[in-house]
Amino acid sequence: MSLGRKKLDIWTLVTILGFAIVIIFLIYPLFDVFKFSFMDKETGQFSFSNWKEFFSRPYYLRAFSHSMFVAVLTTVFSMLLGIPLAFFTSRYKIHGTTLLTTLSVMALLSPTFIGAYSWITMLGKQGFLRLFFASIGIKLPEIYGPFGIILSDSLQYYPFISLMLAGALNTIDRSLEEASENLGSRSFGTFFKVTLPLVMPSLAGGALIVFMMSLSNFGTPMVIGGNYLVLSTLAYNLYTSEIAESPGMASTVSIVMILCASVIVILQNWVSSRRKYASMLVNRPIQKKLTKGKSFLAHFLCYFIVGLSTLPLIVIVIYSFRNTNGPVFTKGFGLDSYKQIFFDVPKTVINSFIYSLIAVILIAVIGTLLGFVIARKRNFAVKALDQLLMIPYIVPGTVLGIGFIVAFNRKPIYLAGTATIIIMAYFIRRLPYSVRSAASILKQIDPALEEAGINLGSPPGRTFRTVTLPLMKSGIVSGAIMSWVTSMNELSASILLYVGKTMTMPIKIYLSVVDGYFGTASAMSTILLVVTGVSMFIVNKYFNRGSETFVSS
Amino acid sequence: MTSIRIVGLQKKFGDLAALSDVNLDIREGEFFTLLGPSGCGKTTLLRTIAGFYRQDHGDIYLGNELVNNVPAYKRNTGMVFQNYAVFPHMTVYENVAYGLKVRKFSKKEIDDKVKAALKNVHLTGYEDRTPDKLSGGQQQRVGLARAMAIEPRVLLFDEPLSNLDAKLRVEMREEIRDVQKKLGITAIYVTHDQEEALVISDRIAVVNLGRIQQVGAPWEIYKNPVNLFVATLVGKINTMEIELKENLGKGLRRAVAGQLSFTVPSHGTEGKSEAILAFRPEDIQEVSQRKAGQEKGENENQLSGLVDSVSFLGSTASITARIQGTSIILDRHCPKEDEIPLTGSSIHIFVPNDACLLFDKQTGVRLGYGGKQ
Repeated sequence: MSLGRKKLDIWTLVTILGFAIVIIFLIYPLFDVFKFSFMDKETGQFSFSNWKEFFSRPYYLRAFSHSMFVAVLTTVFSMLLGIPLAFFTSRYKIHGTTLLTTLSVMALLSPTFIGAYSWITMLGKQGFLRLFFASIGIKLPEIYGPFGIILSDSLQYYPFISLMLAGALNTIDRSLEEASENLGSRSFGTFFKVTLPLVMPSLAGGALIVFMMSLSNFGTPMVIGGNYLVLSTLAYNLYTSEIAESPGMASTVSIVMILCASVIVILQNWVSSRRKYASMLVNRPIQKKLTKGKSFLAHFLCYFIVGLSTLPLIVIVIYSFRNTNGPVFTKGFGLDSYKQIFFDVPKTVINSFIYSLIAVILIAVIGTLLGFVIARKRNFAVKALDQLLMIPYIVPGTVLGIGFIVAFNRKPIYLAGTATIIIMAYFIRRLPYSVRSAASILKQIDPALEEAGINLGSPPGRTFRTVTLPLMKSGIVSGAIMSWVTSMNELSASILLYVGKTMTMPIKIYLSVVDGYFGTASAMSTILLVVTGVSMFIVNKYFNRGSETFVSS
Repeated sequence: MTSIRIVGLQKKFGDLAALSDVNLDIREGEFFTLLGPSGCGKTTLLRTIAGFYRQDHGDIYLGNELVNNVPAYKRNTGMVFQNYAVFPHMTVYENVAYGLKVRKFSKKEIDDKVKAALKNVHLTGYEDRTPDKLSGGQQQRVGLARAMAIEPRVLLFDEPLSNLDAKLRVEMREEIRDVQKKLGITAIYVTHDQEEALVISDRIAVVNLGRIQQVGAPWEIYKNPVNLFVATLVGKINTMEIELKENLGKGLRRAVAGQLSFTVPSHGTEGKSEAILAFRPEDIQEVSQRKAGQEKGENENQLSGLVDSVSFLGSTASITARIQGTSIILDRHCPKEDEIPLTGSSIHIFVPNDACLLFDKQTGVRLGYGGKQ
């Protein structure tokens, strides 16, 4: 049939487009990184010298162990914060659960370096909390180094644990716990023998995400790490000092990061494939009421955890309204910092908005098309494409940035210093999420709905427009808004790719922090927080998507 | 009113023959059911008629029109889906109006037709509801109204009641039948539920392994099955392997099943030494319930054994009797309390010769088909 062939052509074209994108913007730059890691710096010949150096010099190995140390402790602390929060809010009557969830999601989605920077203003050398405690005779250690990274990472990423765990706890059929008690188990025993094993996959999944995020995080260790180098900051430092020569060691460190991330992704897949307890959810779990004393403690704990993670954001917003004189804060409040932004660096704000907007449009359109192909057409090429699109999950932003700058700094594709290279970095980092979410939305749409449209006399094109697209719309738009937020807040790749005229807000914030212009940094951070908050609000309000959207995409 | 003719239809999925040489003549206004186990090809046949699948060979005629090359959206068939397929982003009204808008009716006409269709399925007043506010039964009524509203040449039902609870199923199938008869639209109904098929259909086609096994009125399918598959699919039936012995004359032959001895019709058993014997529970008579004047015939099958278990079903009791090592199920009608037999009590039954159906042991083909009724 002619109709079938025409459709096939469009799908084939989309598949080819997908391969072209993956090859040009992932495989080509990453292969360069791979190649340079095996290239002798002096001779340019194939050699293991970089790898030998990595495994023999404590300087490199230390960064590796620092990364692991930070990631492990961040995961542990995130669990310590996330597990009680999830348990109390899902099993007991806690007032203001929505508020708690919203605030913790806000902390999760805010740019990582903002939290780190805010902790510096509180506990840094001149931090007001530190000065305050010093004035009453308590000497706090300085925040710079592993302690600061772990503190701000944990308070940023614990919502992965609490949201995923609460989701699991809320979908355990109450009858299972009742059955356990009916069979003679005390509630304590029931928790450890029934409840915990049932939510274990979600808990493990959340913990692995935290580990992964902490491992690839660049902004926090850059801002607050001081001399304490982790893999991502090491790669960045190596790259910026290796300019002019070949980025051999930076590439080697990059490959190490990719390998670490691959192990995590493999573990994640293993965890999620191993045990999935789908229940029919006949009986929703109920929220018990606590006695007065216990209830107070539970409330205190929940609000303390969320409050602690919200504190850095509040501090930033307050600081943004303090009067400044150059880098120095002066007495009183006003709009000095904002004025400064709009007079000095309006281009930065505009860049951020425009780049993110273009990236999001590309992500939404191409992501939806590719998602369509992946959901509806399963041939060998499409399956291969689906697998290749996993790559960005295991490539930290820093590594992608290095790959881009190396690969697109020469013919045939010369993009260095352009806005395009930043937009493409945003695009490729978010594309897989968009593809996956479009594919999963489509898989949830019963094919019978499209058949019903056709059966009622509507041609396939009209059916797609009147049935399929309206059903996909809210998923696509809310996914696009999430992409928008992450693009607005992107730092780790763009900091390697920007030049003066393509500077974005996260880069400017980072540079302002380094230069000590805290007023500018606070005001810009506040702008990003507002953008994040408003986007979140829109997703929640208009697309009726729960907090799980923020974890899964 | 449209008749449907299907000639030599074949459809393969890879190596699997989903439909093999299917021929059907469905009459105008008929309620025609495709009955068979899951995977038998009945849904494939329905979807091929709707145009969702393209057959490899054969022809489909809707009325006099050959529709082989007509795309699904131009076939004007009204399909009712198993999982309702009600558009979740539209109200009840918009769902029913969907096909009418495509057909470019005026606003007024659409309004009239939607209201009439909703009235037919007892959903007047639900126009502005969204599907998530409807029960499963109501959603399926929307699906039915939507399919009827376009005044299709044929209504296609793909197991429309299988997701509903038992009581609603019974209600809905009567409603579907009433509406179909009222509108006089030809209907093809797919189900795996034999009871549903018997109640609702004018005629039934039993499908297995992609082939039509038998076409006939419900009573014909039930009483005069063409093979063992049809006999066991529709209703309950006792089956046992038998050895065929000597001819007794008068069209009867002796048969042995383990320690039991039967006389069975000899028609069609010529030259065979074994077969499958089958008889339905309700055809078995009990000695204690025999009416006066009904004397035991010379060659009647009289059997004695013990009651193994009893299930009380309301108007009847289903009794499983253990008769010399063989389990036999029989029905006892309208039992009073003292008529319900106790487990372990003795029981004496007759199996009339003419209730005995014989099937070929290898092929399952009915022996002597057409020789009775």
